[in-house]
Amino acid sequence: MSRLTKKSPSVCTDEPLENPDLCQRFDCLRQLLRSCFGPSGRLKHIRNNIGGHVITTSTSSVLLSAASSSQPAVRLLTTSILNHVSRFSDCGLFAAVLCLSLVDQAARRQSGLRRDVAIRVNKHLLRMCTDYLQREDCGCKVRLDFCSSRSLITLARSVISSKPGCVLTELEAVHISKLAVQAFVLTVPCDSPGTVRLGRTVTVSVEGQPVLDSAVFSGLLLDVPDASSLGNVENLQSNPLQMVLLGVSLSGDLSDLGDGTLEVHRGADADSQVLDQLLELGKQVVKDEVKLFVCQKVIHPVLQQYLRQHGVVVVERVGAALMEPLSQLTGAQPVATLQTTIPAKAYGQVKDLTIRQFGSKTMLHLHPAGEPVICTMILCHRNETMLNELKVACQKTEHVLRLTLREPSALLGGGCTETHLAAYIRNKSVHEAPEAAKVLGCSQSQYLLGLEAFCRSLESVAAALQHSGGSSLIDLTHGHHWTLHSDTAEIQREDALGSCGCGLVESGPHVKWTHLNTKYSDFSPAPLSKNAAVYPRVLDSFTAKINALQVAVETANLVLDIRYIIQDVN
Amino acid sequence: MSHVERPHLKHVLHTVSVLEAVVLRSFGPDGGQVLFTRDTGQVMLSRSGTRILTALRLEHPLARMVVECVWKHTAVTGDGSKNFILLLASLLRVIHTAACKRCNVSHTYSSREAMENATARHLADTLLAFGLEELGDVISTGVVPYGGVLSWEDPSAHAVPAHTNKDMHTLQKLLTAFFHTRLGHTYCDFFSRLTCEFLSCWKCEDKAPSYLLHLIDDNFSVLHTPVSGFPVSCSRVIEGQVIHRDFSTPFSWTNNQPVKAVVFSGHLHPDAHKAGAVLELRGGERGVLRYTSCTERSLECVITTLQSLGVSLLLCAVKQSEAVLALAGLSGMCVVDFLFHRYIHMSFHDSEIKPHSLVICGAGEGQTDQCACAFQDALRMLHTTWEPMHTTATTAAKSILHSGKSRSPSSKPPLQKNVLNPGCVVPVGGTFEFLLHHALLQHDTGIPALSRLLADALLCVPQQIYSHSPRRYLQTQTLVTNYIELRVGHCRKVDFKSDVFTLDSGVESVSCKYKLILAVLQCLSSLLRLDAVLHTHTPLHKQACRHSSSSLEDTEEGDED
Repeated sequence: MSRLTKKSPSVCTDEPLENPDLCQRFDCLRQLLRSCFGPSGRLKHIRNNIGGHVITTSTSSVLLSAASSSQPAVRLLTTSILNHVSRFSDCGLFAAVLCLSLVDQAARRQSGLRRDVAIRVNKHLLRMCTDYLQREDCGCKVRLDFCSSRSLITLARSVISSKPGCVLTELEAVHISKLAVQAFVLTVPCDSPGTVRLGRTVTVSVEGQPVLDSAVFSGLLLDVPDASSLGNVENLQSNPLQMVLLGVSLSGDLSDLGDGTLEVHRGADADSQVLDQLLELGKQVVKDEVKLFVCQKVIHPVLQQYLRQHGVVVVERVGAALMEPLSQLTGAQPVATLQTTIPAKAYGQVKDLTIRQFGSKTMLHLHPAGEPVICTMILCHRNETMLNELKVACQKTEHVLRLTLREPSALLGGGCTETHLAAYIRNKSVHEAPEAAKVLGCSQSQYLLGLEAFCRSLESVAAALQHSGGSSLIDLTHGHHWTLHSDTAEIQREDALGSCGCGLVESGPHVKWTHLNTKYSDFSPAPLSKNAAVYPRVLDSFTAKINALQVAVETANLVLDIRYIIQDVN
Repeated sequence: MSHVERPHLKHVLHTVSVLEAVVLRSFGPDGGQVLFTRDTGQVMLSRSGTRILTALRLEHPLARMVVECVWKHTAVTGDGSKNFILLLASLLRVIHTAACKRCNVSHTYSSREAMENATARHLADTLLAFGLEELGDVISTGVVPYGGVLSWEDPSAHAVPAHTNKDMHTLQKLLTAFFHTRLGHTYCDFFSRLTCEFLSCWKCEDKAPSYLLHLIDDNFSVLHTPVSGFPVSCSRVIEGQVIHRDFSTPFSWTNNQPVKAVVFSGHLHPDAHKAGAVLELRGGERGVLRYTSCTERSLECVITTLQSLGVSLLLCAVKQSEAVLALAGLSGMCVVDFLFHRYIHMSFHDSEIKPHSLVICGAGEGQTDQCACAFQDALRMLHTTWEPMHTTATTAAKSILHSGKSRSPSSKPPLQKNVLNPGCVVPVGGTFEFLLHHALLQHDTGIPALSRLLADALLCVPQQIYSHSPRRYLQTQTLVTNYIELRVGHCRKVDFKSDVFTLDSGVESVSCKYKLILAVLQCLSSLLRLDAVLHTHTPLHKQACRHSSSSLEDTEEGDED
């Protein structure tokens, strides 16, 4: 009989958003995430109460999964953001900060904005934003040019420099960004008609080496603990080299037979029978002129010895994760049956083999025979924590670069997209307020309150880029974002500002600014004149950001719509 | 020794009022979300009364009984759980008032309580009898003539230009109003459009709508794919079926040729040497090798046969061995293994039906799950709407009569036959309640107080809908009354979509409402028929519990775990 336990009744909270405790939690989370945002974001040290690993990070995915809350409304929000990050790898903090600002603006009682109106207005304005961003003439969007690597490198650098936990100098950041773009380009096949299948970048991290030693190689690098056993790798003459890939254990153990009991009678020497069979396999491989023998699992030493004697390079224990890239690189099909002869089409090819040394690591480099869609990125950094953060940053960069293949656009970074959007929406909505209020079923004043809350939330994301007490400004022509350091006097403002957040607008006597948190009269943000010589300094992923924007607003709407919480305490 | 509790009418009322207070949070146009956590810690969202009430994990036996009734009702109709509680509370209130009035003369406190209970029980039983015998009649004369009719055939026939098709419009309005109660104002339009598109894709000439709705409902778990991390607006209908598993071998075909697939339910690799079996190795040449080569050869044989048949995709219910994956890969076949059995069973030999799936996107699992539940309930609601009413009335009556000992089956008049046309709809916003209220007051039942009672109780629904603006309540009521008078006075067929009524705000199904009232009356009668609650201390022995009191059956302590 199954054990029966009595379920205890759930704990209920009525009107949770009126509850100061929850508001405080949201506020705390907002402060925390804001302080991590952007290239000058502050790092967080995460340690749990039972000791263990300490993480230093400013990445939303790491932060949010580490700082999990038991409060259901907070968890609803964090899971939404984490889901976004798992799909798009970028703009997690942007989504989180925007969402929390929207909640904060609408939940404030003194603002006089009704929550249900806020939800409708948010939805309406979100639609306006996405429509604008999708437009060809959108003022904060740039078309990516695949003829030059410049904009791709800028995009990559924006992602990498937004992770201050990597602790990179300017030069190192540029180096890593270039590597990321190089790796991305290597994984895009050039001449495959029809459905394109992207290759893969395999990342190998090497601790204790300078960052500038990081490199990208086409082909695969396999870890070989004992380089001396490899023998005369460099002297292999034939080109390309025949290779075979084994997906089963070649240890010679009988345990692979099945789950049943094995009874071995006297006189039956099962082990030697199995070993004989392995050597049969070896003979066939040698006969077929295989020069490289790779196995996912362990290889019996006798077989290894036999193969080496016949000039075959043997690599064992490569692990399941590398099997698919290996197969993709060499064209070999993994073999999992030992009894039957290996069909010719199971063999693959590599162009060349070389041995490379990275710090303490020795690696065997498999050069691709055909088009190189598989590449290996060697990432070096001074210590493990930074290396881990750098690895995460590079994976995210790879994903962001891949997203450009679907939608070859990027958004201006440095807070310029946010302020520009806010200025655009303010201008457009103020003129449409009477009709919009009617459609949304609310009064015009409520609509304007909702509009203000939405625009302020957008602007507060731009302002969150600033962490050293400076102030955020917006120019009244293009609606770009500018940062003014706290030690600058108002008179010198024009010189001190230099250029806007994304670097496209230069300061000058004709430019007028206002502080972000002040009311300014609405204006239609002018598109920039096409100046071929000026390139944006900071670019954000278009696909990731537009999804982040939508997820942030939808999540904020969900949170604002909560009337009751029922918590199962079982 | 078990402790006995005698629930009085006011306790019942109190309990239901508590449930009402919870449900009201997500009721009506201004209702919001209820967030609840599962015991796994997952955060879920809902506006569905059933889910909210279930999430409360109530202990109170009466409350559990009510929740059970709501659950049973919505499992069939998919709709009306919040209305159920509202109406039940309202009926209890009017009955309570009536009972108190009648029993004022009694002397002692305890005898007055007993009398009140008895009066309430009598009223509830009479109401149920009225509901079963005459309500359908009242609705067919007092509500149906003012309603529009929704048909299945037209909407899907020319589904593409939705705005040009009148009926598609009504279907969409019915769904919009439904999704408004489930997903809120922001997504109701989007989801009603999506549902219409989905249904028109499934449409099939020679299959009845109820068959299709039933088919989709039954297989909904494999016909929808929840995807988190995207905005809801990315949800869409796609042709075919989505299998929620990745390939176990590298995916390798790129040409758009039709793919030959084979479904396997067992292991391809002969697994003679499984747990429990004994493999004996004797001396001699190649003992163990003969065994392994034998199994490998038979596997190779299978793969070669499949290859000669031109098969390039293997769908397997169980996990296949490495050897199978490797051999399949060598022969250019792709394998998806470890599949949920439901996929395997869902096959469409019937070429008439073109299966389509729904991809439901949302920021998180809570949201996708909410949308999926709402979608499935919408299917049930549509099913109920299109169901010919006489059969429902009979089955409903049967189940009620089964528990109600006071009524004999012979007293059931065959009146309900063809009482309501399937697919009858009225505008949302309390129109049904106002119309029925009016009709009940006009109707001659023999017991005028009884119809008055029900008529008054019904008004609680529009009162809650317009709780924020009493003026609109009065406006709507006047509008409905004027319209009725207009029709009665002129005795002519006034178009429903005339200036008096507009269907713009959405419509709701009359048969769902009718079923709802019957279910509430049934629940009411069983609640009030309850005499005592026995609290026993042996929850593990259900049998003993049953013997001690047969009246406890409905409040059975649910030990289901």
